[in-house]
Amino acid sequence: MSPLRPRAGRGGGHSDDRGAGGDRAPRPPASPRTGAWARDLAMGMRLAAGGGREGWIRTALTAAGVALGVAVLLLGSSVPTLMDSWHGREKARENMGQAHQPPPADDTVRYTSTDTVFHGVSIRGRLVRPDGAHPPVPPGVRQLPGPGRMLVSPALKELLDSPEGALLRERLDYRVAGTIGDEGLLGPRELTYLAQSTTPLTAPDSYRIDHFGKDWHAPPMRAPAVVLLIMTCVALMTPVLVFLGTSVRFGNERRERRLAALRLVGADVPTTRRIASGEALFGSLLGLVAGGALFLGGRQCASVITLWGINVFPSDVAPGPLAVALIAVLVPTAAVAVTLFAQRGVTVEPLGIVRNRPPVRRRLWWRLALPVVGALLLVPLARESPWRDTPFNTVRLAAGAMLLLLGVAALLPWLVDAVVGRLHGGPVSWQLAVRRLQLNSGSATRAVSGITVAVAGAIAIHTLLTGMQAGFAQAYAESGKLPRIGLWGNAHDWPQVQRALTALRATPGVTAARGTIDAGLSHTTGRPGSTDRFATIAIGSCAELRTLARMDSCRDGDLFLTGARGHTLTPGATVDLTPRYSEHDPVRPHLWKIPTAARDARLRHPGPAPGRVHYDLLATPAAVDIGRFGYPTAEYQIDFDRDTPDAVEHIRTTAAHIDPTMNEFSAVDNPHDAQYSSVRDGLFAGAVITLLLIGSGLIISTVEQLHERRRLLSTLDAYGTRRSTLGWSVLWQTALPVVLGLGLALGCGLALGTLLLTMLDTAVTVDLPVVAGMTGIGGGVILFVTALSLPPLWRMMRPEGLRTE
Amino acid sequence: MTPEGSLLAAEGLRKSYGATPALDGVEFSIHPGEVVAVMGPSGSGKSTLLHCLAGIISPDAGTVRYGPHTLTGLSDARRSALRRTDFGFVFQFGQLVPELTALENVALPLRLNGTKRKEAERQAREWLERLEVESVHDRRPGEISGGQGQRIAVARALVTRPRVVFADEPTGALDSLNGERVLNLLTDAARESNAAVVLVTHEARVAAYSDREIVVRDGKVKDMLAGLI
Repeated sequence: MSPLRPRAGRGGGHSDDRGAGGDRAPRPPASPRTGAWARDLAMGMRLAAGGGREGWIRTALTAAGVALGVAVLLLGSSVPTLMDSWHGREKARENMGQAHQPPPADDTVRYTSTDTVFHGVSIRGRLVRPDGAHPPVPPGVRQLPGPGRMLVSPALKELLDSPEGALLRERLDYRVAGTIGDEGLLGPRELTYLAQSTTPLTAPDSYRIDHFGKDWHAPPMRAPAVVLLIMTCVALMTPVLVFLGTSVRFGNERRERRLAALRLVGADVPTTRRIASGEALFGSLLGLVAGGALFLGGRQCASVITLWGINVFPSDVAPGPLAVALIAVLVPTAAVAVTLFAQRGVTVEPLGIVRNRPPVRRRLWWRLALPVVGALLLVPLARESPWRDTPFNTVRLAAGAMLLLLGVAALLPWLVDAVVGRLHGGPVSWQLAVRRLQLNSGSATRAVSGITVAVAGAIAIHTLLTGMQAGFAQAYAESGKLPRIGLWGNAHDWPQVQRALTALRATPGVTAARGTIDAGLSHTTGRPGSTDRFATIAIGSCAELRTLARMDSCRDGDLFLTGARGHTLTPGATVDLTPRYSEHDPVRPHLWKIPTAARDARLRHPGPAPGRVHYDLLATPAAVDIGRFGYPTAEYQIDFDRDTPDAVEHIRTTAAHIDPTMNEFSAVDNPHDAQYSSVRDGLFAGAVITLLLIGSGLIISTVEQLHERRRLLSTLDAYGTRRSTLGWSVLWQTALPVVLGLGLALGCGLALGTLLLTMLDTAVTVDLPVVAGMTGIGGGVILFVTALSLPPLWRMMRPEGLRTE
Repeated sequence: MTPEGSLLAAEGLRKSYGATPALDGVEFSIHPGEVVAVMGPSGSGKSTLLHCLAGIISPDAGTVRYGPHTLTGLSDARRSALRRTDFGFVFQFGQLVPELTALENVALPLRLNGTKRKEAERQAREWLERLEVESVHDRRPGEISGGQGQRIAVARALVTRPRVVFADEPTGALDSLNGERVLNLLTDAARESNAAVVLVTHEARVAAYSDREIVVRDGKVKDMLAGLI
């Protein structure tokens, strides 16, 4: 049968069917188009399943690529639901400051925050005191603990039970009565407790509530978070797509021979393409299942990962049904599309000759347009100050970042062609490599595009995070130059503060402790809410006041005016001890006349400084009735010896025993450090995995290429070509596109990171070791690919390739 | 014909692939300037004999002598070096490096030997002219005809002025006209430089270009002039 004869049933061809009168019987109508697609796809899938070792390897590689892509997409699409679940639990268990405080009843409870920090880790604490027998309970709790007891999260229980938690046990000296259920936790690693106070809780230390849970609406993700998410997806998905494109080409030679055999028996070109697509579809369907399993298995790790201070339960990592349906349809479709795209310009002829289109000259203009448009979107945003978090700006930012990253991938093939086209000379190994790239750089460049996008994205994100982290670190370093902690809590009277100071001074590691009762007051004249009206008073013993100001003499009952901020407070002036901070503030005034005996004092540190209060009045306890102030607070400054182990933790424990609701303000711990470090570590790990994935793809395409050239390799061996010559040739052939790609990635990544930092008005900081590390890993990929390509190379340099019989 | 004065000689060669003997006690010799055709049916061991004589593979038993060297006793590196300097090869499908131009393909063996690029290409150009393919010196193998490609392969085999040329079915993929042209050029050039040619073929018309024919059958060799050896 001639291969040129069209298949029976296609019309227009010859047929042996003849009717009774000798006339040819009418040919049956052609199969419907969809029927042809289904039939050919099915045949392709059967061939993939029965295609021997190479067919199964290709199927496995395609499935692996698809599985990774599916897992990444499922993870990305889980982020909104994950955040919703996290925020939902956060709000469901909280009600600090219920809008309308109910009167005490059987179903009300006093409730306050007793958060603390232990070795830089935040511990959420809540203290309750029920008013009756049926108080409300938060999620995860069946009933409130008894007085002096607490319910703890499993992670906190583990910490308290460990040797490292000894100091914390001193601080949280409640008896553990049980654990809080998952519904009451943000994540499995959260450290939180709920205790009942043994003494009554009073306002303003606490709030009275009759239910837990706050109404809330999920806030839209902020632009930087959106950009980070998009950049991460692009940086991860591009290498996956590139790997997919490489894997569908595996075993191409044998497949094309098979397709040529099909052509010989009458299959046309579209049929062979559909069959090839069916083979890819088989692999992608397997990959879809594997990706789902990978996602479900991988999400179990969510409980041990804390990213940006967020730790969630595995069940929170759940994509929406629409996203799952889209991924289930789009990913196999993309795999088929990649297969069809890979076959463009390739025509399998019945005699097995595969004709390619002549190499297309790569055009620069559209490749340059992508990053240029991206830059045009981003640069004006960088010039705008301050950044405005609007939907339009978010879209511009996301689109600009994506175009810049994808533009890098588009530029690389042109760059490789432009550079290798100008190379000549050199030793034989270099010449072979350069010529090979000049003839066809496609497969190597495709694989390296993945590295380029991944590294550029990782560098950009890393630069952004490094800059932001450095900003916080600098601020904390500035504030934390002195070994000092500040504490503040509600104040009732001076003896309370004295007792607290005594306890603090007796704490191990404390070198000095100062404390005053601070309060705000206002002039009686002027418009409510105007800041010029407000003044601050510090009440303390003469010893404490002398640490703040210079005064000639002092005894209990004295009051001093400092003249700070140019206030016109004078002896005999009338002030309001419960200032109204707005026109609608319902607070009733408590007027007080400044004693005429008030004297002047000069503040020791009059200038502005972080955390420094400008006291306008200094009073000894007998000079004024503390109870008349609206919201007096006890303020403590504790200096400690850095060389005393755990001095800070001892201070915090003392503070918790003085008043569990006391708050800390200090620069001892930088909470942002752990947040940024966790993300950066995750990024680095992701970049390494991505680069290994690309390296695997490069190995596959290199080994494929060697296999296709095995006869040539045998010939070169016959000519006495040294193995080292061809080994070096493989290295150069891999190195050239990778080095160019990494150079492009470095430039683009740093440029994008700089733009993003400028947008956030943050100093540009480049973490050179990490950037060098990422590019170094890219270089390691070259060696990795070369090293793993050498054994098959040497195997193919054998005389078996010369046999023609 | 005795091996006396022979350039390349083999004695008692045996080679098996698994349980299948490809060569079974083969003896062979060739003198400078001589063209010997190795004939035989498909699968008879002709190519295996050629590979053993060229030092590409090591026989299971027997010796191959090339001048003062015993090829079978040399290391792989020494045999490779010998192939770079003293032997030339022409295969059925040419096996030119597809990314190199014709000129660079012909110059390749010289460059592998350490000759500088310019000198190697100068010598290569001479051979291209001689084999009447100078007009395609800057084209890649994919851009030229089969006949031109095979002549370039012949030029590549001869550019190092080898003492022995091994040609394995050099015209197997060519039409008769191109095949004759290639054989004429190969044998004339070899004789001019006093190179010996081991010509593996299954076609009698190709064997007609030789000075002597041997037949390989079932792993044994019969010299058509001297009878069974």
